[in-house]
Amino acid sequence: MAVASGVLYTKDHEWARVEGDIVIVGITDYAQEQLGEVVFVELPQVGKDFGVHQECAVVESSKAASDVYSPVAGQVTEVNTNLETKPELINQDCYGAGWICKLKITDKKSLDSLMDAKKYEEYLKTL
Amino acid sequence: MQGSTSAGQFVFEQRAAEPVPSVLYDEHIKRAGKSHMAAFAGYLMPLWYSSIAEEHRAVRERAGLFDCTHMGVLEVSGQDAGRFLDIVSTNRVQDLKIGRARYGYILDAAGNVLDDIIIYRRGETSFMVVVNAANEPKIKFYLHELQEGRIPVAGATDVPALRASVRDLRDPNRSQDRRVDLALQGPAAIDALAKLANDPSVVERIAELKSFAFVEECLAGVDCLICRTGYTGSNVGVELFIDPEQAPCLWDAILDAGKPLGVLPCGLGARDSLRIEAGLPLYGHELDGKFNLSPFEAGYGWAVKLDKEFFIGQAAMRRVAETYDMEVTRIEMPATRGIRPVRPDDAVLDESGACIGWVLSAAKVEEKQYALAYIERKAAQEGTKRGVYYLARSQSQAEQGRRQAVERKEKLDADLAAVVVSRFARF
Repeated sequence: MAVASGVLYTKDHEWARVEGDIVIVGITDYAQEQLGEVVFVELPQVGKDFGVHQECAVVESSKAASDVYSPVAGQVTEVNTNLETKPELINQDCYGAGWICKLKITDKKSLDSLMDAKKYEEYLKTL
Repeated sequence: MQGSTSAGQFVFEQRAAEPVPSVLYDEHIKRAGKSHMAAFAGYLMPLWYSSIAEEHRAVRERAGLFDCTHMGVLEVSGQDAGRFLDIVSTNRVQDLKIGRARYGYILDAAGNVLDDIIIYRRGETSFMVVVNAANEPKIKFYLHELQEGRIPVAGATDVPALRASVRDLRDPNRSQDRRVDLALQGPAAIDALAKLANDPSVVERIAELKSFAFVEECLAGVDCLICRTGYTGSNVGVELFIDPEQAPCLWDAILDAGKPLGVLPCGLGARDSLRIEAGLPLYGHELDGKFNLSPFEAGYGWAVKLDKEFFIGQAAMRRVAETYDMEVTRIEMPATRGIRPVRPDDAVLDESGACIGWVLSAAKVEEKQYALAYIERKAAQEGTKRGVYYLARSQSQAEQGRRQAVERKEKLDADLAAVVVSRFARF
C-alpha cells in the first residue's frame, strides 16, 4: 500500500497536498484498493464552498459508491475533468494524475487535524 | 436461534457471529492480500485477486477457480430419503438417476423461498444437498424441526416417521466423507482438470459428463465428486466436492496446472458479475428478498412441479403461478466511460417515464452493464427499450432533489437508456 510523502491525510483516506493557499485533493492508495476498478467520478462544481468533512465528490466502482469528503475548508478552483472520461486514473495514479479537485483554502486551521504520512501509515496498521 | 410457524410461515432468526476464515483463507491471503477480504455469509472471503473485470474475462475466455467452501453441503440418507426430499423441495427427486443432480427450492408452507438448492443423487438411498452459505443454519434447523414433528406438514403427516437422516458433510467432527465445494468454470476447465488425472479414462469420464451429471474420481491424489454444475452461465464448468483438509492442496494443484491455460483464482466480485450477466438469481436479491420473490417471478417456474404429488408450499405456489404480474428481467445498458453504474433500487421506466419496477442486481461487463430488474411482465418483452433513473448516491444529490426511492407508476425522466435482453445468457 503506497503512502505518498509530502501530503496530509484524513481518516477517511483522502489526501491533501498543500501548495501555497491551494490544496489539491484526492483519495489514497488504500481507498482505491478498497474500491476496486473506479468507473465513475462525480466532480464538485468550480466555485463551490466546502467546510471540513463535507461531501465534495463521489467515486464509484462497480461494487460501491463512495463519498469523498473535503479534507479542509475551501472553495473549488479547479476539478480534474480527465476523470470524466478516464476514471481509472484514480486506480493507476491516485496521488498524481488521479487527483480530484483543487480548493482555495479558506481556513488554514483546518489543516491542523490532518495526519502526516507517518501518522497515516500507523493509522493504516490499526485497520 | 428460534423457529416458529404462523400461517405456514417459517421464521428463523440467525444469531450474528464473527466471520470465520474459509478453509482456503491462507491461500487467499497469499494471493489476494488482506485488504481484498470481506465478510460474506459468515466467512472471510476474497472480493477479488487481480480485478473483477480480469477474473470475469478469465471465466468467459479460459477458466476461473472459485472458493465455494462456505456453501452448505448436507447429506440426506436412509430408506425414505428420496420421499423426504420430495416433500421438502419443489423439483422431482425420487425419479432422479444416480449420478445426476437437479435444481429446486425449499419453501415454507406459506410459499416463502427458504433457499434454492441442488440435490445430487449418490445412491438409491443417499443424496447430497448443496445449500447457500447464508441459509445453511436455517435449512438445517428447518429440516430438523420437520423431522421432529414440530412443524406439522398437512399434506404429509408421516414426515416424522420417515427414515431419513440429515448430516452436515462439512462437520469437522465427521471422520470420513467430508465435502466442501470448489468451482472451476469456463471453457478451459476440463483441460485444466485433465492435467491432474493420471489415467486417460478419468479424463474421458469427466469430459463426457452431461450438464448436471457427476462422477466420483481421484484428481491429484484427492477424492473428488465432480459435477457439471456451476453458477456462472458457462457451458463448460464443474464443481468439485472434496475433503476440506485437502482443499488447499487441490486449490494449488488446479491453479498450477491451469496456469499455462490462463486459469485464474476468482473472488466474490466476479462470481456476482458472472451470474448477473448470465441472468442467474441470487437468494435475497432475485429470490425472496425485499419483494419476497417466488421461483415463478425469478423465471424458474419449471423447477416447481405443481403436478407433483405433494411438496411443502405447493398450494401457495399454485396461487402464485396464476396471479404473478411482475418478473425478473435482464436488461442491458451501456457502460462506456463516464456512465454512472446502475445500482439496486434504481427505477426502471417505460417509454412514458412511468416506473414499472426496480433494479435488483447490476454488474459492469466490459463496455456494457447488465441488471436483473423486477418489472411488470407485460413490459418485459425482449427487445423493448426502457429507461433507468438513478437514485441519489449521496446526501448532496438528495438535497439537490434526486430521489431516494421511487414508487411504481411515478413519472420521471430517464438518466440512461436500457433494453430488455433474453432472460438468460449462456457462454
